[in-house]
Amino acid sequence: MIIAERKPFAEIKAMLAPYKKILIVGCGTCVAVCLAGGEKEVGLLASQLKLALGVEDKHLEIGEITVERQCDLEFLRPLCDFTADYEAIVSMACGAGVQFLNQLCSLHPVFPAVNTTFIGVNNEVGYYTEACRACHNCYLGITGGICPVTMCPKGLLNGPCGGMVNGRCEVDPEKECAWCRIYHRLELEGRLDNLREILPLHPHDRTTTPGTVIHPAYKRRYGLNE
Amino acid sequence: MSKLRETLEAGAFPVVVELKPPKGAGVDEMLAVVKALAGRVTAFSLPDNEHARMRLAAVAAARLVQEAGGEALVHLTCRDRNRLALESDLLGAASLGLENLLLVSGDYVTLGDHPQAKPVYDADSVQLLQIARGLMDGHDSAGLALTGAPAFFLGAVVIPEAEPLPPQLIKFEKKLAAGAQFFITPAVFDLDKLRRFREHLPETPVKLLVSVKVLGADEVAQAAAGQWRKVYSLPPNLVNDLAGKEPEDILAMGVKAASRLVQQIKQEKLADGVYLKAKGRTDLFTKILEAAGL
Repeated sequence: MIIAERKPFAEIKAMLAPYKKILIVGCGTCVAVCLAGGEKEVGLLASQLKLALGVEDKHLEIGEITVERQCDLEFLRPLCDFTADYEAIVSMACGAGVQFLNQLCSLHPVFPAVNTTFIGVNNEVGYYTEACRACHNCYLGITGGICPVTMCPKGLLNGPCGGMVNGRCEVDPEKECAWCRIYHRLELEGRLDNLREILPLHPHDRTTTPGTVIHPAYKRRYGLNE
Repeated sequence: MSKLRETLEAGAFPVVVELKPPKGAGVDEMLAVVKALAGRVTAFSLPDNEHARMRLAAVAAARLVQEAGGEALVHLTCRDRNRLALESDLLGAASLGLENLLLVSGDYVTLGDHPQAKPVYDADSVQLLQIARGLMDGHDSAGLALTGAPAFFLGAVVIPEAEPLPPQLIKFEKKLAAGAQFFITPAVFDLDKLRRFREHLPETPVKLLVSVKVLGADEVAQAAAGQWRKVYSLPPNLVNDLAGKEPEDILAMGVKAASRLVQQIKQEKLADGVYLKAKGRTDLFTKILEAAGL
């Protein structure tokens, strides 16, 4: 899932300073799980803003709503009419959700309330770690299910760098070297031969942004050759 | 053919000394070392933004070294360049008469003095060796033909004290397969560890330069405080002997230790040559060479 962190309150408050009536839109999927932008966090931000502005004797009218997924037109479209009364919108979704909302609500400024950090996993409540760089060329079948692109800070494809000390990473000694993990896993699986072949340069042309994927079954619908 | 390659292939125990490209455009101090030692050592090594700390470009420094009468060994790191830049810098190096290369992945940016810089690593050190080999064969990494193929002597790094060792040995084999013609180790202080590593070397002869280093007071203090975290170990008795001494005394004792190591490495044929690291200082290099009888 997408992991995000809420922006510092002062930054959000400063962005909203010119407005008197705003709508805060939460997202009920990834950012709700990582406690950054779900329904609860929408309520918290609204209360925080009201309190802070109340102390300054200022008034801000705040609407609150949370949709299932801000990155999905199906859930986002019904919001459009609802936003008309507001001067500005605050999205608590990841960057994808913020941009989709911005695209649909073209008459209002849309501000992000979170910083999108990575694609990761939910280890325990409040503890998330990065797991995938969305590199368009998955190596996990070769590397024992441990991603060298993500887990090695240098993204090296052909073994550990010279900075590994006692199996720990050069960059963060708290972490085990990704290539040691890969080696031990493949040893356990009897697949060490996987490591003997030199992996070629990564095809970065596939990572040119912004990416587009059209499912093969829908190519005709979108005017592409099957 | 480079003097380094000739000396290695002749089994004549080359000595490479590591220079410190300046943090700035003033190159006089660096070139003074070359002028003083050009007749006594085989080559001068130019690290490329060593430890991810920005310094004068290694390729430019290497050319200046050659103009000052020394032979250069230029490092090229994957950290700071994508494949286009790596390849064009390699061709640029060749056009400037630079043949000896040490191709490395490079220390990570957050460990250096520009921690917010974007790390590149478009290639890793194995792939960079393949790229350089491809250029020598007349084509770039996209398979396009070159006008005039460069001649290189390709070096790579191997870590004898890597723990665990097997992943490092696989990488070493990949570097060999990718075209590495010689290897350089990080500093070695414990020769038993070097002897044990040699047992893992393939039957095909591999040219190996072992690094011998003079420790500084800051490094000794770090080790004495139990905070040593490098890819090479320091014998406890060495740290005990050096701890608490004045910085210049530490260097003087380090010079003696280094010259003993060089002598032993040469006598026991533990390596084909040595790579000296001594703060880029002529006086320290000279004392090591004299004491080691080189």
